Amino acid sequence: MNLEGRYERNKKTLSDEDQHMLGNSCVAIVGCGGLGGYIAEQLARIGVGRLVIIDGDRFEVSNLNRQIMATELNIGQWKAEAAQERLSRVNSEVQVDVIRGWFKEDKASEMLRDVDLVCDALDSRATRVMLERVCHQMELPLVYASIAGWFGQLGVSLPGDLSVFRLFGRGEQGVESAWGNPAFTPAVLASLSVTETVKLLVGRTSSLRYAWLQVDLLSMEFERFEIQ
Amino acid sequence: MLVTVKLFATFRDGRFKVEEQELPEGASVLEVIQPLNIKPEELAICLRNGKDANADTLLKEGDVLALFPPVGGG
Repeated sequence: MNLEGRYERNKKTLSDEDQHMLGNSCVAIVGCGGLGGYIAEQLARIGVGRLVIIDGDRFEVSNLNRQIMATELNIGQWKAEAAQERLSRVNSEVQVDVIRGWFKEDKASEMLRDVDLVCDALDSRATRVMLERVCHQMELPLVYASIAGWFGQLGVSLPGDLSVFRLFGRGEQGVESAWGNPAFTPAVLASLSVTETVKLLVGRTSSLRYAWLQVDLLSMEFERFEIQ
Repeated sequence: MLVTVKLFATFRDGRFKVEEQELPEGASVLEVIQPLNIKPEELAICLRNGKDANADTLLKEGDVLALFPPVGGG
């Protein structure tokens, strides 16, 4: 099949040079659940050259309501492997590497080797804070997103920032344990996360450094807060 | 003294989005959240006039308080 026009509709939002930069980039997606699945899907479609998908979980029936990589046929399969399979059919030009395991600080340098940017799609507040610390040590930009019910938060943390720590460093378990995660919330927050990721990869200024976007899909309010 | 209280995400459920509250002079954030049945440990982010605060922070006339629950799912 001739796939030459694959990126035609990325223009002129992305220039040929931007597209080339994406093709030479590597993004690690930490967590391949609701957020991570959609993030991986979009980064593959837009043409990021290499993805590293890290998740130590297998699909369960309760994932079907929101996790794009989950189907009735792959319940029980490793999430990262299911993503790799799907993405190989979406964009075979993308190299998808999978790590079937949880993100660990002592394995971080190995897991994130040759990565240019990290997407935080985790569901643990403590691991988010640890991931930010690791990214800063490795001089990697981090795009983070979180969800609960109708709500989400999104931001960018560059080396030296402590944005994730400021947002997720305190408070007990997230309200997602009571409010769940319906299909639309991870899809919206993942799209926003990919938007910021693409900007950083092509060298544009991120709109959300030292700030976070508070997303309320119930009232359809998107409010930006400065991290001072 | 008059303080503006803004609630976000699930804190709005059964409460309000924004409300002006009359509080005694020298009241702290705790005196705002207690009547709302929000425990200090439920506060993931607390901003007083856009800057980091916590349950013990003392409030002043005209302050704007923004309170956020922990949102951590993925």
